[in-house]
Amino acid sequence: MSVAQFLEGLPSYNENNFTKFHVDNNNRSPLKRPSVYVPTKDFPSEQIIVTEKTSILLKYIQQHWDKKVNTCVKKRDSNTQSDEPVRKRARTDYNREGL
Amino acid sequence: MAYHYIVTAHKPTAVTSCVTGNFTSPSDLNLIVAKNTRLEIYLVTPEGLRPIKEVGLYGKVAVMKLFRPQQEKKDLLFLVTMRYNAMILECVSDGDNIDIITKAHGNVADRIGKPSETGILAVIDPKARVIGLRLYDGLFKIIPLDKENYELKATNFRMDELQVHDVEFLHGCANPTLILIHQDVNGRHVKTHEISLREKEFVKIPWRQDNVETEASIIIPVPSPLGGAIIIGQESILYHDGIVSVVVAPPVIKQSTIICYAKVDPGGLRYLLGDMAGHLFMLFIETEARGDGNDVVKDLKVELLGEIATPECITYLDNGVLFIGSRIGDSQLVKLNTKADESGSYVTVMESFTNLAPILDMCVVDLERQGQGQLVTCSGAFKEGSLRIIRNGIGIQEHASIDLPGIKGMWALRAAFGNKLDNTLVLSFVGQTRVLSLNGEEVEETDIGGFASDQQTFYCGNVAHDQIIQVTSVSARLVSIQTKTLVAEWKPPNDKSISVVACNTSQLVLSTGSAVYYLEIQPNELIMKGNTTLDVEVACLDISPLGEGNTTSELVAVGLWTEISARLLRLPDLTEATKELLGGEIIPRSVLMASFEGHNYLLCALGDGSMFYFTLNKESGTLSDKKKVTLGTQPTVLKTFRSLSTTNVFACSDRPTVIYSSNHKLVFSNVNMKEVNHMCSLNAEAYPDSLALATDTSVTIGTIDEIQKLHIRTVPLQESARRIAYQEQSQTFGVVTSRIDIQDSTGLNPARQSASTTAQSVTVSSSVGSLAVGKSGSGSVLGGSAAPDYGQEVEIHNLLIIDQNTFEVLHAHQLMQQEYAMSLVSCTLGNDPNAYFIVGTANVNPEESEPKQGRILVFHWNDNKLTQVSEKEIKGACYSLCEFNGKLLASINSTVRLFEWTNEKELRLECSHFNNIISLFLKTKGDFILIGDLMRSMTLLQYKTMEGSFEEIARDYNPNWMTAIEILDDDVFLGAENSFNIFVCQKDSAAATDEERSQMHEVGQFHVGDMINVFRHGSLVMQNVGESSTPTRGCVLFGTVGGAIGLVTQIPQDFYEFLIDLQNKLATVIKSVGKIEHSYWRAFHTDIKTENCEGFVDGDLIESFLDLSPDKMKEVADGLGTVTVEYLVKMIEDLTRIH
Repeated sequence: MSVAQFLEGLPSYNENNFTKFHVDNNNRSPLKRPSVYVPTKDFPSEQIIVTEKTSILLKYIQQHWDKKVNTCVKKRDSNTQSDEPVRKRARTDYNREGL
Repeated sequence: MAYHYIVTAHKPTAVTSCVTGNFTSPSDLNLIVAKNTRLEIYLVTPEGLRPIKEVGLYGKVAVMKLFRPQQEKKDLLFLVTMRYNAMILECVSDGDNIDIITKAHGNVADRIGKPSETGILAVIDPKARVIGLRLYDGLFKIIPLDKENYELKATNFRMDELQVHDVEFLHGCANPTLILIHQDVNGRHVKTHEISLREKEFVKIPWRQDNVETEASIIIPVPSPLGGAIIIGQESILYHDGIVSVVVAPPVIKQSTIICYAKVDPGGLRYLLGDMAGHLFMLFIETEARGDGNDVVKDLKVELLGEIATPECITYLDNGVLFIGSRIGDSQLVKLNTKADESGSYVTVMESFTNLAPILDMCVVDLERQGQGQLVTCSGAFKEGSLRIIRNGIGIQEHASIDLPGIKGMWALRAAFGNKLDNTLVLSFVGQTRVLSLNGEEVEETDIGGFASDQQTFYCGNVAHDQIIQVTSVSARLVSIQTKTLVAEWKPPNDKSISVVACNTSQLVLSTGSAVYYLEIQPNELIMKGNTTLDVEVACLDISPLGEGNTTSELVAVGLWTEISARLLRLPDLTEATKELLGGEIIPRSVLMASFEGHNYLLCALGDGSMFYFTLNKESGTLSDKKKVTLGTQPTVLKTFRSLSTTNVFACSDRPTVIYSSNHKLVFSNVNMKEVNHMCSLNAEAYPDSLALATDTSVTIGTIDEIQKLHIRTVPLQESARRIAYQEQSQTFGVVTSRIDIQDSTGLNPARQSASTTAQSVTVSSSVGSLAVGKSGSGSVLGGSAAPDYGQEVEIHNLLIIDQNTFEVLHAHQLMQQEYAMSLVSCTLGNDPNAYFIVGTANVNPEESEPKQGRILVFHWNDNKLTQVSEKEIKGACYSLCEFNGKLLASINSTVRLFEWTNEKELRLECSHFNNIISLFLKTKGDFILIGDLMRSMTLLQYKTMEGSFEEIARDYNPNWMTAIEILDDDVFLGAENSFNIFVCQKDSAAATDEERSQMHEVGQFHVGDMINVFRHGSLVMQNVGESSTPTRGCVLFGTVGGAIGLVTQIPQDFYEFLIDLQNKLATVIKSVGKIEHSYWRAFHTDIKTENCEGFVDGDLIESFLDLSPDKMKEVADGLGTVTVEYLVKMIEDLTRIH
């Protein structure tokens, strides 16, 4: 496959774009700069981006704590319904019971 | 306390990012270019790129992306600044007026976290569900783009991969899925992560590919339906989608490193790749049908298309046209052609956008002794290396030029009956007059009936009653336009020869030596209404009517020989109204009465290029307020022309100048042409509102810029320019450059032709001297280390001698291998009258943490020959050199050393100072030396002449990592540091204790937002010309990595306080795009501290006052209490005129 084939059918969004480009535009030495936007109207932001302040370590511990608590609560809930006594209990659970 | 005004004279030009999309409206195709803190929005049109708006941000753009939320018809812009301010911007247009609305904003910085060495990476999910940010090692931040919530909660995800080189979102995934290249001890790997927004975690790894190429650095996500990603490495390109894997290693890409890409087709089968050497490649994905209706990737093809500017970013615009954004060279608009040109390139450059970045060094010179500095910068790097000559002035756009030597006068005429446009140009030569007729753009020689063409014309012009007047040394001739015949002729009595003439549309004044005649122009006749004989001969005359709409003058201005005076005579009887002796011995050559903004002036230019100007009272015929300016060095001719319906005066001389009035003060702006002898206004069909300008050899027709601005000329060197020094004695610049040579089978050979290889003559430092000149050595290497490996790139440093006028490289002196030139100075030493270029070098050995050896080389450029006069071995790198009281001051590694120049022309060490980490910069004033250290801010030394030793006077104890320093005055010092801030230190000599005296206090600090590489005293505008109401003192220019030029000037306290009030008011009236506070932006900010800006006024904000609408101007003025809008406009316009 040749380079020419590669370069065939390049995308065109408006076939007129760049058709009237003149090389002598180059000679206009000062670079045409756009006018500067000086906004004076205040548009309130629709949204603000807020950054979570918790560090990922704390978040991790928190998540694990929640999981643990959840699973334990579930366990306890299921335990109370079962007839079998539990041989081992998590200490946290024990403490909680004690409170 | 010291107070300063800082302002940008030339905005940054380095392109750091570019994107294409529909931003200003669903149907507009826009290019958005980020240049440091500024965004430029362009519209793609049939004529090319049309600038729409430039948007300033209070932050340096780190990442810029366009994205389209689902169900939206146009794109939004997502930006993150270097200080972690994120924003989503939307453009709302209403006809020609556009507004940039900050849809969302916030700071995404974390209080802890190690900023990643590979910089800020930001990616947006193809379905615009989330934004991903990699800011710190080990963390990945996700911003979900919920439409409903007011708060967009950015959440940190833990990421196991610490060293991430690139990251992207994959297309066609049910949940947002990241793909990244990361590095560990085993190499680089590609990994994917699926994101769960609910659990705020990476939930699974859909696929991974360990041990990809060790230099893999870019991910290109391939759009659906193919999906997957392309991984670009140093030598190979890999496609992978979890199932299919295709690797190619095209030899063409091995030469350099690919640094950016652009997608061509929306479907994602073609991509453009750009490498560090400026090669443009096309990458093509070849697919095959798999049978189930889906295509799979079969092969990857890479083809070299041609050479472009070293790219930083590329974007595809339309119809085969690309924008190449460059950080170290001129950005380009290029077109891809299906057919190769003669050199085999498929790329045509359509347009180049001047870029000064990075400015490594610069010098301020006044080559034409115009009282106005020009800056010459070392800009760009590698193949984009260049010198740029930057000069302030009014530009002339040349539209036509005719070669015609010896023009003595020139006038435009309306020679066709009933035509309101000029169609003829009358040119006067010694002994003859030629008439050019302008027919459209065609110019041909013609005759006008009734004209004397065998005489030199002194004046010619259209006058009342459809007549033309021509005055020669013999007579004044009145010609009818309609009949083209001579209708009247007036000769002075006794056929004396006419020496000087002035004329308006109805009045004529002539002189023959000391006799003056006044004539009025009537239909078909010239009537003498008065005459007089003065006591001395007349040198110049003027009879311009004063005031709007007036066609006759009541006064004649006369400049006189012998007594050197200017007089005003009343008409018609030519009695003297006033006489003003000018003093001196230089005769007046041109007088002109002109009215600017309702004020009348008499301008009187002398033969030495200076000019007096007076306020003229028309009624009383008196002159007052005498002032003098120097415009040039040659006799000056004053001519009026109109531009934008205001009067301007063009002073033709060796330094053409435009004189106009602003705020009732005369302003002098030099014109960017070397020399103009004569000029006239020309308003012809093909050349409307133009000027015709005659030089010694030609006539140029052009239009003139409305305002003065910086004009930039480029001298390409095609290798990196590092240091520049100007030497007046030899009319040359010394420039230190480096180029890249490549080791091959025949030794080291330059990678490309550049300034040092194409110089008129070449010499090499002694130890490689035995080798062929023009080619680097292969065998002898300093320190006995082995020759570089085959294919290795080696930096070769040169000292170039460049002619100050032609900018030709006259000579190149090549240093030894591994010897890097670090510093350069031009100076005289001791009693030796010769001016020397002195180069400080370092022998760079990659195994050493710091150079241990170097040299100071003293060169003399004389008679087109470069001689090495002296060489001094030193124990380290010579980072900086300075002339100091006839001696040579050098900073070598951590030390500062002073060398004497002996009668034997050798450098002898006199004394040293040791108390720094690395002494990078030196500046001197009198006996004082300011040292800028790598990380210990600034230190002030005093040289004790008697003892011959240094004494440390004061030090700034803040840990600033310096990038440039400057001495502002005896007590005030300016420093720039590497977190883009500048600060001012003051020493307190009057303090009570030694301890207090030894500390410099930071009295000013300001965030510039760009790294300053160099400070230089000097100014870009004419000094001491005209008046200014702003009390600025001194001027230090600076050049930045982003290609900006700025200046710092001292202001008094009351003015500072006034400007600060104005600045604070403006900061509330002008809303910030992205809602970043102005005070936050300008606060001194480093990794370790953030402190409020103080001691500096932000000139960029102050000067944006002039862009406000009248009602907003009034709001600002009212907010300040007692000042009027007019006063503010006048004051700020004056401030803009210092740059």
